[in-house]
Amino acid sequence: MFFHIPAELLAQIDEAITHYPVSRRSASLPLLHLWQEHFGFISDESIKWIAAKLELEPIHILELVTFYPMFRRVPAGKRHIRVCRTLSCQLAGSYALRDAVAQAAGIDLTKWQEDSAHHANPEHGNPVAVSADGKYSVEFVECLASCGSAPVAMVDDLFKENIDINEAASLLKLEKSDATLPKVLPPHARERRLVFKNIDVAGYTNDLACYLKHGGYAELKKALTMTPDAIVNEVKTSGLRGRGGAGFPCGVKWSFIKRGGPKPTYLICNADESEPGTFKDRYIVHQDPHQLIEGMVISCFAVDAKLAYIYIRGEFPEGARIVEKALAEARAKGFLGKNILGSGFDCEIYVHRGAGAYICGEETGLIESLEGKRAYPRIKPPYFPAVLGLYMCPTIVNNVETLCDVKHIIAMGGAEFAKIGKPNNTGTRILCVSGDVVKPGYYEVEVGSLTMGELIYDVCGGLKEGRTLKAVIPGGSSAKVLKAGETYKVKDKTLTLEDIPMDFDTIAACGSMAGSGGVIVMDDSRGMVECLNNINEFYAHESCGQCTPCREGALWMKKITERILDGGGTERDPDMLVKIGDNIAGKTICAFGEACSWPTQSFVAKFRDEFTAKSTKESPPPMPPEYTSEELIANEKIESIPAPRGNGHEVMAPAATR
Amino acid sequence: MSTATEVQMLNVQIDGVWLQFPKGTRVIEACKQAAKFIPHYCYHEKLTSPGNCRMCLVEMGMPKMTPDRKPVIGADGKPEIGWIPRPQISCAQDVAEGMGIRTSSPMVEECRKGVMEFLLINHPLDCPICDQAGECKLQEYSVEVGQGESRFLDHKVKKPKNVELGPRVTLDAERCILCTRCIRFMKEVAKDDCIGIVERGSYNSIACHPDKPLVSNYSLNTVDICPVGALTSTDFRFKMRVWFLKEAKTIDVNCGTGANITIGSRENVIYRITPRDNDDVNGCWLPDSHRLNFKYVGDERRLKAPMVKGEPVEWRTAIAIAAEMLKAHSTASTALIASARATNEELWLTRRLIDELEIDKQHDVIPRIGEPDGMLVAADRNPNTTGAKLLDLCTNRPGYRLKKIADGVRNGSIKALVCLGEDATKAGLTEDDLKKLDALIVMDILPNKTTAHATVLLPASAWCEKRGSMINVKGRLQRLNKAVNAPGQARDDWEILRDLIQAVSGSNGLYLIEDVFKQMAAKVKEFANLSLSKIGDLGVQLLDEKKEEEAAK
Ligand SMILES: Cc1cc2nc3c(=O)[nH]c(=O)nc-3n(C[C@H](O)[C@H](O)[C@H](O)COP(=O)(O)O)c2cc1C
Ligand code: SF4
Ligand code: SF4
Ligand code: FES
Ligand code: FES
Repeated sequence: MFFHIPAELLAQIDEAITHYPVSRRSASLPLLHLWQEHFGFISDESIKWIAAKLELEPIHILELVTFYPMFRRVPAGKRHIRVCRTLSCQLAGSYALRDAVAQAAGIDLTKWQEDSAHHANPEHGNPVAVSADGKYSVEFVECLASCGSAPVAMVDDLFKENIDINEAASLLKLEKSDATLPKVLPPHARERRLVFKNIDVAGYTNDLACYLKHGGYAELKKALTMTPDAIVNEVKTSGLRGRGGAGFPCGVKWSFIKRGGPKPTYLICNADESEPGTFKDRYIVHQDPHQLIEGMVISCFAVDAKLAYIYIRGEFPEGARIVEKALAEARAKGFLGKNILGSGFDCEIYVHRGAGAYICGEETGLIESLEGKRAYPRIKPPYFPAVLGLYMCPTIVNNVETLCDVKHIIAMGGAEFAKIGKPNNTGTRILCVSGDVVKPGYYEVEVGSLTMGELIYDVCGGLKEGRTLKAVIPGGSSAKVLKAGETYKVKDKTLTLEDIPMDFDTIAACGSMAGSGGVIVMDDSRGMVECLNNINEFYAHESCGQCTPCREGALWMKKITERILDGGGTERDPDMLVKIGDNIAGKTICAFGEACSWPTQSFVAKFRDEFTAKSTKESPPPMPPEYTSEELIANEKIESIPAPRGNGHEVMAPAATR
Repeated sequence: MSTATEVQMLNVQIDGVWLQFPKGTRVIEACKQAAKFIPHYCYHEKLTSPGNCRMCLVEMGMPKMTPDRKPVIGADGKPEIGWIPRPQISCAQDVAEGMGIRTSSPMVEECRKGVMEFLLINHPLDCPICDQAGECKLQEYSVEVGQGESRFLDHKVKKPKNVELGPRVTLDAERCILCTRCIRFMKEVAKDDCIGIVERGSYNSIACHPDKPLVSNYSLNTVDICPVGALTSTDFRFKMRVWFLKEAKTIDVNCGTGANITIGSRENVIYRITPRDNDDVNGCWLPDSHRLNFKYVGDERRLKAPMVKGEPVEWRTAIAIAAEMLKAHSTASTALIASARATNEELWLTRRLIDELEIDKQHDVIPRIGEPDGMLVAADRNPNTTGAKLLDLCTNRPGYRLKKIADGVRNGSIKALVCLGEDATKAGLTEDDLKKLDALIVMDILPNKTTAHATVLLPASAWCEKRGSMINVKGRLQRLNKAVNAPGQARDDWEILRDLIQAVSGSNGLYLIEDVFKQMAAKVKEFANLSLSKIGDLGVQLLDEKKEEEAAK
């Protein structure tokens, strides 16, 4: 071994393993995080050490290190800067920001781009470009769940939002994080704050004392006096629909669990928040963690789960620490652990960090990831989480916001909660608005209480000076785009885009979805090919690659939109794009198939003229030669193990510089 | 078989026809039974179903239900089916009562075309140099369901090629369709979870950790089940196009398991050995050690001519001299070492020779015992010890009498020794001991320390050059078949033995190997009513499996 493992790190490692009493393998990601935090990267030797520690084969760890982009096999710079690449940030200039940061850090990006173009075994991510002196490194990463304050970046573990591109150099010396910075904006008059009641409120802190001062854990006390069945019934009555994207009725999901069966039940909070355009869970996690914990303990009691995990995306390192601290506080005060508040109910919650993979948001991918594997979603049937979930036991996966809603349902009763919003679309929703509006941000409103037009023009202050609305993605980047000027027939009424009430059912009736609540607004200055290419790059990067249509199709669509942008579009490309989308959607293991094809299908259908205008070549550009038969037979050895992370693949030329 | 646990039969509609299947039947299997073949890549009946290739998509439906949960009956008196709007995979679900399946609707055909196109866009299309050509499911299905012209205009993803995953298996990751069959085989069957996937998305690649390569003795099974040419046998690579190979169904002789195999040969040369499905013996697997152990058959040094005292002679002469030498020795001064690698037919004739020569308890076989691997490699490395015991070529403790024979040779009480397919120096004798013998009659295929001292040397056939039967460690009677011809003047062992018996004791009326079996079946009750043809390709259970397993312990 070429490394010395300090006793402190070893203790942390051993402690992490205890969080997974069912399977040591689950500790793979935590160990990799601890290791990288200490040593800066994951060396080949460490892969073997970690595998041995967890009684696994080394390939099991290698599989993870190459799957999760946050893990590096080569050192980054002493300060590592991750700039968000995804749509809302691109609209706010993130490509120029990344270039400016690289320049300030003395990094020649073209060198890294050339290297990556010649790399026989490209790794899937954007390269970690390191300065010659090793002081700095820059990396493009996907949506950091803060699209309303774009452009954003992470400097090591610190988070920075609303970055002024002219001040890019200051990122190199960043000392303070914005992650918990309250913005102290008064709620808009149209808002109804329930879950976000304490978010960005002056003087509100994320510690237990403050939470208790605001009446915290009263609902837990109340819930513990109820029967679990009564709680499930209240949630059913409330009509609460999941806030993670699919909108499945929460009470119905819970009632799939047969209490008292031979297998234990687990509850998992989905805090992976990675759907581009979505940035709501991050505020709860950073500013009001006890609300989430209280909601979770109540939910655990209702479904008889004695062990629960919070799967938090890897890009929330501060968030993970905040939640861990809150859990410790709750444990110390008897809100968590053995015999909670004297009720006889035991419940333990642990934080589990992801490592930069969007697919971990899909509930079965999340479960695989929590089991210490590549986040490969499972086939359903037979692996419905409520039956064969974590460790093949009944498991409930709920979004952060959904679990917080549970607390409020207990507080006011299911029937009262059901009165908020509209029938079948009850409660409040946190709408996350980003892109080309004057006041992007989050707005908690009664479901359906305002229209798209009111949201954009009244609440968000309309479009920027002199601009007009062109398109809106209403529910996270995977929702089908809506075009300004379009009309929709909904129940005998004709609606314009501005007329659509922001509820689940109407948005679905207009051919898109309310999804995760992420509304991305594009004005008339935006090229739709460019926007779609940004989205396609996201999905090509995030496909887990397990099933054929998505693995092959997502990258193919991105290659075509990129070629069209580069001026190599052929006449048949627009049709081809749609056909590829058709061949993916509905034919894959998980809903990522739809998520990656809906943008392409809808952008090309609705903005066809923009695509055909750029797709005029009769034949495609020439291709590099394939291997000859002789070359193939000659026993040339090409490494079986991908070269350490560090080289990107293909061109990473920014769309914005074209 | 008891009928107490009768399996429930379910009504399933496949392409409009109602059929019945036992509960627990996979949809894809039910379709196959209904002669509706569904193309598939990742599904393998012996492995778990990951459902990742999406090739087996079909339309599926369940009976429409009335509000009180009774099936809605249509005009034809059959339940009406509510079709699921999206295609469903058929490899991971079992049939259910009233289920409907459409295997060839326009939707299904579109799905297959789409998946085929996706699989081919990043594929190198190097069929002209690919070993899998001819048995590649990618080629096969792309002709059947694909769409011919490529619509892919962009750069393909480059992946590692010519990678040694282990000492015997080579990977071309560009050809791999990531079906994970190889991974699942290693994990679920070979219990050596050493293959994984590295990278992500379109860049996914099969790999082993460099410190933990694919060394398992079952590694070549991954080559068999790889539906494309991504995994190839390093031994077979680029040697022969598979469609030129002549195939012979036979059994393995490297241990007492008797795995069922197929020998692929061309122009009398063996190129490869692959497992042949037999759920009662080896499933569809075969250890590498067994499948690669055939090179000696084509060895230059094979014994090709009968010899007497080192001089080549005609067969007639060799047999006559051998018979004369044996007759010249008394019963007490004659011993015989037979082989538990011989067929039942050969052992039966050997037994008759022992009787004609009145050899009394001075005969045995040489045992070969190794470490069993808990899977297909049996502790008994002889393929027909059971037959040798049954036909009384040895006691219940094979090799028990070898010491007595060795002592006899050493102290001069034994003067004539017959060695049939065995090297006596492996039975406790030295070359000096052998030199003391007046007569050493040896039948074998390759030179060894015993053949070097043979007074009469009779060149015989290897296991793949002849027909016959053997009984495995579990008491199953199975058939050997001929794949290639023996070299030179070498003859079939049973014919040599027949001629020897004839020369010792007169005519015996055996003209075909079938006659030998018939004669044996008339005398040995276990073989009663059987014949070589009745054994069939999959063999028959001859003895009580449990008892044989006990006895083997
Ligand atoms: C590709 C994909 C990504 C997803 N990402 C998230 C996510 O980041 N956060 C989340 O809560 N749900 C996400 N989901 C939805 C989850 O699968 C699951 O439906 C949800 O966590 C259930 O919680 P809910 O019922 O409370 O909404 C995603 C789904 C898919 C298909
Ligand atoms: S659809 Fe995409 S993300 Fe989902 S399992 Fe298939 S390859 Fe993975
Ligand atoms: S190497 Fe062959 S068996 Fe293994 S995943 Fe690839 S195609 Fe499937
Ligand atoms: S934070 Fe950059 S797009 Fe979401
Ligand atoms: S065979 Fe069914 S998905 Fe592969």
